[in-house]
This record gives sequence, C-alpha cells and structure tokens, in this order.
Amino acid sequence: MKIKSNKKIGSKIFKLELKSSKKIKGEPGQFIHLKLNSDSYDPLLRRPFSIFDLNYDENLLTIVYKVCGKGTELMTKLKKGDKIEALKNLGNGFNTNKKNNDIILIGGGMGIAPLYFLAKKVKPKNNVKVLLGASSECELEFFKTKFSKLGLEVYNATMNGSLGYKGTVIELLNNSKINKDKIDYIYGCGPTKMLKELKSLVTSQKISTEVSLEERMGCGVGVCLSCTVKTINGNMRACKEGPVFKLKEVIFDG
Amino acid sequence: MAKNALNVSLGELKLKNPVITASGTFGFGTELAEYFPVANLGAVTLKGITVEESLGNDLPRIAETPAGILNSIGLENPGIEKFKKNTIPEIKNLNLPLIANISGYSIKDFKYLAQKLENEEAIKALEVNVSCPNIKEGGMAFGTDSEMIYKVSKEVRKVYTGPLIVKLSPNVTDIVEMGKAAVEGGADIISLINTLLGMAIDADKQEAVLANDFGGLSGPAVKPVALRMVYQLYKKLNVPIIGMGGIMSGKDAVEFLLAGASAVGVGTATLRDPDASQKIIFEIENYLEKHNISDLNDIIGKAHQ
Repeated sequence: MKIKSNKKIGSKIFKLELKSSKKIKGEPGQFIHLKLNSDSYDPLLRRPFSIFDLNYDENLLTIVYKVCGKGTELMTKLKKGDKIEALKNLGNGFNTNKKNNDIILIGGGMGIAPLYFLAKKVKPKNNVKVLLGASSECELEFFKTKFSKLGLEVYNATMNGSLGYKGTVIELLNNSKINKDKIDYIYGCGPTKMLKELKSLVTSQKISTEVSLEERMGCGVGVCLSCTVKTINGNMRACKEGPVFKLKEVIFDG
Repeated sequence: MAKNALNVSLGELKLKNPVITASGTFGFGTELAEYFPVANLGAVTLKGITVEESLGNDLPRIAETPAGILNSIGLENPGIEKFKKNTIPEIKNLNLPLIANISGYSIKDFKYLAQKLENEEAIKALEVNVSCPNIKEGGMAFGTDSEMIYKVSKEVRKVYTGPLIVKLSPNVTDIVEMGKAAVEGGADIISLINTLLGMAIDADKQEAVLANDFGGLSGPAVKPVALRMVYQLYKKLNVPIIGMGGIMSGKDAVEFLLAGASAVGVGTATLRDPDASQKIIFEIENYLEKHNISDLNDIIGKAHQ
C-alpha cells in the first residue's frame, strides 16, 4: 500500500492514510498487519492496527496509532508516497447487522479507533450514543470531533478532567443520565481493565455486548498462538477468531 | 534447471525440496493456505502435541528483541486424541509430507504419543521435541541431559518404525554429546536448534516482559549459534540434519546446507511473512542457477572442505 498522509493529531497520536491500487476488503473490528521495514530485522514482527476508517470507493484505509515503542516510532517517519506491506482483512469484526437498536459505543484510549468505522456502519439503522475515555483532552480531541461530525451524541471522560467527566469511561456510563434499561446493545474496545469493568456492568444489566480485545500479537494470521484469549468455549486466537468477542464469553484472569 | 535439482533425502524421508516449516510456526498446515500453495513446501512440521490438551502459558507470551523473538507459548495444543480425531482428517489431503512433533513430561508420555502416531498414514515422520524451554518438566530438562535424550530416543524407537527425528536444544555445553546420544538411541535424523532460553525486561515497568519470565529466543539473532551447532554435528555424526535457527532468506538456508544440513526449518520468518517459506524455496533455486549448480546435494557440507 502507499502512504497518502501521516499526520500528528494529538499527543503522540497519528493518523495514517493508506491507499491501495486494488479493492480493499475490511469490516469494522478487523485489522491490518503492517510490515514496518523490509531492509532490517529490527523490528522483526509486523504491527497490528484496527481499521479506523475505510473508503471502499477510493480504496483508502485509515488507521490511528499512538507512539509507544520502536515500531510506532518508526511509523512516524513514513511520508506521502512511501510504500508499506500490509496483510489486510484479518480477524473477525463486529456484528453490524443490528437494526432499530439503542446502541452504545464505548471506547477507552486507542480502543476508540475501531469504533469510528463501526459507528458509520451502524448509525443509519440504529440510535447510537458514543462514550469516549482517555487520559486527557489532547488524546480525545480528535476522536470527539470525528464522532460529533457524524451527528452522534458524544459523552467524554478524561482521567485528569481536562475534558468532560473526570474519571474512567465506565464510571461515566454508570453516572451519566443514559437509561441503562433502554440500552439494547453495546460495542466496546479498550484496555483489559476497562473491559473487565464493562463486563461486570453489562452482566448485572443483562446487556448484550461485544468487544474488541487488544492482545499482543505475533504472526497475526493464527499460527503462533501468542494472542490466545480464554473464553467459555475454550482458548481462542485474538487474531483469528477475534479480535471481536461476545463479552460474556471472555474469561478475564484475576 | 532440472526439475529434481532441489530434491533431498533425509534417509527414508524424501523431499522435493529442503524447506520444512518449523514446529509451532505453521499451525497444523492449513492456516496459511490463503497465502501460498502449501503443497509447494518440502514438508510441514506440525504444532507440537502432548498427551493431554494444553491451554499454554499466561500472556504476554511473546516479546520482540533486536532481530529476534522471545516466546513462551507453553505448547498450547488440543492433545493427541483430539489431534487424531479432528486434525488429521483435515490435513491428510494436504499433499505433502507431514511431520508430527511430540512433547512429553515423561519418557512414558513420549512413548505413548509415538505409539499413537505409529499407524497414522498421514504422518510421514516423527519429531521428538526434547528441547521445549517453556514447560516446567520434561522438555528442555530432557534435552540438556544426554542420558535422557538416549532413553527417550530408545523408547520411542521401540514403538515407532518411521523416520525418527530428535530435535535438540542449543542450551547445552556440548551439542555433539547430545546428538550422539540421540543417534545411539535410534534417531534417524537430527533437527536443531530449538530456541535459546532468554529473557526480556521492561525498564519502565521494571519487570519481566513475558508472564513466564523466560522464553525461547528465535530469529536472525540466533543464526550464528545454530550454524555453528549444525557444523559441529555434521562433522561428528553420520545422520542427516535438519538445520534451523533464524533462517529468513534463501541465502540463510544455503548457509545451513553448506554447514552440513540436508534440509532446513523455517520458523520465525513465517511469523513476519506468512509466505516466507515459499520465497525461500525460490531464492534457493535462484542461488543454484546463479552458481551453476545442478544438484543441491552438491553443496551439503561444502563449508567443511
């Protein structure tokens, strides 16, 4: 794929647009696996990224990434016209067939990224509210604006209180005026701690929920078994059967 | 180039080319079918099997290091019964030699697993893993003790009549002693190296990266160690060797052949590029053409001359 743009959009957060000459397949919740270098073995592995947005007509795929190590540091140097190898259409995404549902999208940190593409797909047929959480405003600003532009009701939470509710996005959901009894379906993505808390909330409220898990991956194609997820149906691979799972089926340790 | 230029023989095990996928990096042979025609490979070594189902180690199980990967998967697998019942019917028509890889926590386990696979037609050879660094008993504890390697090989040999491969651990002082013990026990083929025991620590979090603390190091970082060990064994043993450890390209593979390997295992490269093993076959072909070599066997062990 070819880099169309690579822009800094917040504190350590970048938006990368990738253009393909061929049709790109992909659904919300699926991911792509980027090979960051062809000329060296450091870093050796690819890096997985959820699809932030995908324009099927223009064959344009967008990801949003946060610089948190050697790989993402290298990515900041990508510039327009550079080529990058990508494995696409990986994993199983969210169920986007919901109709006439009151839906909540809840995302924490970079877990917000896959929810934007999802929001675009489910919005036309459902009533969608969005809850976003991050450590501070500069991590949330970009996402907040994007979701608002879709015409969705957006609720924000930041740990330092610089934007919206001061606290976690789960506390925000608990304390907001949103009537939990009226929620038909929740889609979530974020750190394990957040999803654990989400699980206890939706279990007591009996709300059907699916989440995308952020596990450290190796191959991304189902052979190395690095990203195993414990579920009530046995071990599953985040990269193959996931990364989206029904929350009630995921078993969290501890 | 002649069609059979890449053919190699590992005793009774005849391969159309020397490229074999390493155990644990190619699932059960069907997962990567969408990336290239798997039947093009010399052989596939399947994910390691234990007697009982194993859920593997806690996460994180993988950590990247300079030009390498540390893993502590912990032999996650369905166990021999499910493997026979569910997996073998799915893979028996893959149309290439399949090598089963077995791991045990006792000599009895290894013998039991070998017995279970003795009459499986789909399995063309057995690789005995006495070198897994990620299980607490058995595994590498066997692979670092020549007496145990001898005993495991001997017991498995009693019940398994097909080509018997023993996979050695590099975490030893004298690899030749280990290789000799395997051959004396009845191994037909030696494969090496399994991963090197290592560790990664997160300086910011001030803790081990892997949940299991230690893991097995693989990738380009270990290649010089692997090459040296293959070279040493070729000098002292009279059985074919499957060389592996950080092979990322055809050139890397050729280096192992020159050191004395008759075939090569491709592992970590597949985790970077799902079709790496196929590319490596093409690159070996190109090497032969470029150097005007009509038979790959002519270069096996050539670095010793």
